[in-house]
Amino acid sequence: MRTEDGPTPLERFIRGILPENPVFRQMLGLCPTLAVTNNVKAALTMSAAVLFVLFSANVIVSLIRGLLKPHLRILVFTLTIATFVTIADRVIAAFMFGMSKQLGPYVPLIIVNCIIIARCEVCASRQSVWHAAADAVGQALGFTLALLSIASIREVLGSGTWLGMRVMPGVWPDWVIMVLPPGAFLTLGLLLGLVNWLGTLRRRPAS
Amino acid sequence: MEKDSQTSSMKAGAGNYFVQAWLVIVLALLFGLALAGVHSALSPRIAANKLQETLAEVPRLVPGAVKAERETVGGIPVYRALDKDGAVAGWVLPASGQGFSDRIELLVGLDATAGRITGLYVLDQKETPGLGNRISEEGWRAQFRGKSTGKPLVVTKGGAGGESEIQAVTGATISSESVVGIVNRAVTAFRAALKASGE
Amino acid sequence: MTDTAKDKKDGGGEWSRLNVAPSPHIAAPVSTRRMMVDVLLALLPVLGVSFYVFGWFSVFQALLATATCVVVEAVSMLILRRPVRITDGSAVVTGLILAMSLPGTAPWYVTVIGASAGIFLGKVVFGGLGQNIFNPAMVGRAFVMIAFPAAMGAAGYVDAHSPVQAVTQATPLTALKQMGQGTPLTALLLGNTNGSLGETSALACLLGGMYLVIRRTASWEIPAGILAAAGLISAAVNHFGPGTPWDVWHHLAGGALLFGAFYIATDPVTSPLTSRGKWIFGVGIGVLVMILRYLSGYPEGVMFSILLMNAAVPLINRLTVPEPVGGHVRKAR
Repeated sequence: MRTEDGPTPLERFIRGILPENPVFRQMLGLCPTLAVTNNVKAALTMSAAVLFVLFSANVIVSLIRGLLKPHLRILVFTLTIATFVTIADRVIAAFMFGMSKQLGPYVPLIIVNCIIIARCEVCASRQSVWHAAADAVGQALGFTLALLSIASIREVLGSGTWLGMRVMPGVWPDWVIMVLPPGAFLTLGLLLGLVNWLGTLRRRPAS
Repeated sequence: MEKDSQTSSMKAGAGNYFVQAWLVIVLALLFGLALAGVHSALSPRIAANKLQETLAEVPRLVPGAVKAERETVGGIPVYRALDKDGAVAGWVLPASGQGFSDRIELLVGLDATAGRITGLYVLDQKETPGLGNRISEEGWRAQFRGKSTGKPLVVTKGGAGGESEIQAVTGATISSESVVGIVNRAVTAFRAALKASGE
Repeated sequence: MTDTAKDKKDGGGEWSRLNVAPSPHIAAPVSTRRMMVDVLLALLPVLGVSFYVFGWFSVFQALLATATCVVVEAVSMLILRRPVRITDGSAVVTGLILAMSLPGTAPWYVTVIGASAGIFLGKVVFGGLGQNIFNPAMVGRAFVMIAFPAAMGAAGYVDAHSPVQAVTQATPLTALKQMGQGTPLTALLLGNTNGSLGETSALACLLGGMYLVIRRTASWEIPAGILAAAGLISAAVNHFGPGTPWDVWHHLAGGALLFGAFYIATDPVTSPLTSRGKWIFGVGIGVLVMILRYLSGYPEGVMFSILLMNAAVPLINRLTVPEPVGGHVRKAR
């Protein structure tokens, strides 16, 4: 095996969660971030599907990284990702049919989710299986964190519930805009602003 | 890795397809096999889910029905609802059309002669949450139960009492009219087809 | 913090960004404050008719929206550590225009959320007055329009049991769209119909609008473009299409067209700079309003039309850069 350089598995794991958060920092995977975050359950299902696909693809790509030819690597990545996405899609359709109808085309669309191909390219095709697995879990947790935060805001304001449980008082007027597409853009934009603002505060403590 | 592949590709030359692509071909075969396995294991379940979605509503749409069989009457796909003795209890008619935002998909329950509506179910709709999407609510759909199919249904605003009147969802006249229009068109076409087929 | 923001805090930033040009200079007493006072004066006839027709509904919404706008603006500026400039009156104007574009029956939270969204999402996140792309009052109204369709849609305007007589009927445009009923032109002119608080009287809007145009606080090209486009399209539709109870004059006087044309579209921050650009902007709004009135599910389209054309303003500005005296200097190749 080649000598490993670059971040350690632990670093890969931690970076994925916040410092290199796929949504808030890398601005990748925005299609599901916007499309399936109007309730927490859909967001968690999508996150689980992404975790499964990302983990499987990263591990397999890392295992065969010695055999990859540079000009054919994207083809191999896509082939691997598409396989696991199809498996995830079929499993959801078989065991969570209502959720599968709700997620619609967004499960098959994980194939073109840039987070996964970026992790194959940046980490899995260069580092060991342990690095790749830790990286996949870290990035998927970061993605889950982003989806969960957006979906929580949207579901609480838009439906008065969280994961289907009533959290707002009965007189709460549902903000319909939050469960519609504009709510996704507004929430993502404001959260991105907040994350950046907090980052600025940390880098330059108030003088 | 980069060096290895470069030298091997130079040795093989551009013409040697298999040296270049053997990994892709092997992976495609393996993945293909895996997918075939997943598909054969899960597809009956998925097909059952899809059918179940319609069939689960049949007893609620047609009183007394316990199961349904898919068939076509005069080119119109429809479910024949059967009671526990196997006699025709009624029909479940899939119908769809344009709503306020997107297509609305409905299931209309009819009695055995298609003379009365026995129930209505909204399979899919994307109407405005809080207004138009209230067409899915049981209370509103219940208005359709028992309505005669002899005369087209009409939408009224506030206080529907007449035999063929449906009260609009407050603030969602267009969604309500869409549903009534879809039901009217589908039922009229189906009645004609049923009469032509001689049942 | 960016450099410009830092400069601003130091107090010298705003001047350092101005370009110095050779004389002659014209000294004009134009300030944000004077323009905002003009708009407030121009709103007086609208507020008067609104109070006459809708009674305390009008006062309640106006006070609530204005107070919310001022508070949100002040709090945002404090959090962002920028100078608080409430006295320039822009937040008050946003609040009043928002209130006048709401149904009187809107629940208090609709007004508060609309005013907060207008100031915060419409103005503060862009960097404050002068930086915003969209008219803040219309951003707030669009937000609550989509958030609370039951309160802001056609049905939200009507309360059959209201003591206020106007509120018991459908708005003129809803009556036209859903029931094909007309409304007498005199009612549209005087304003004793249902509708958003400030839009009902065409005469009041014209009176205030004329004042703004004469004072040059509003550019005449924008309302002229809107009215010309809307008038021509409704004339054409009436000429070639089937007869409807609304003719050209109804379409010009009814709905929010005049209120939007004079008070909202003319916001100098969110409208083009040049005369030609203002014509394009106005005609665009007029065309969109008529398209939405005739073809969309909504009875009225002034708000969406203004927001859509707001988005096109940077493009219009780029297309209509005036030619310098003596023509453009060709770059030597």
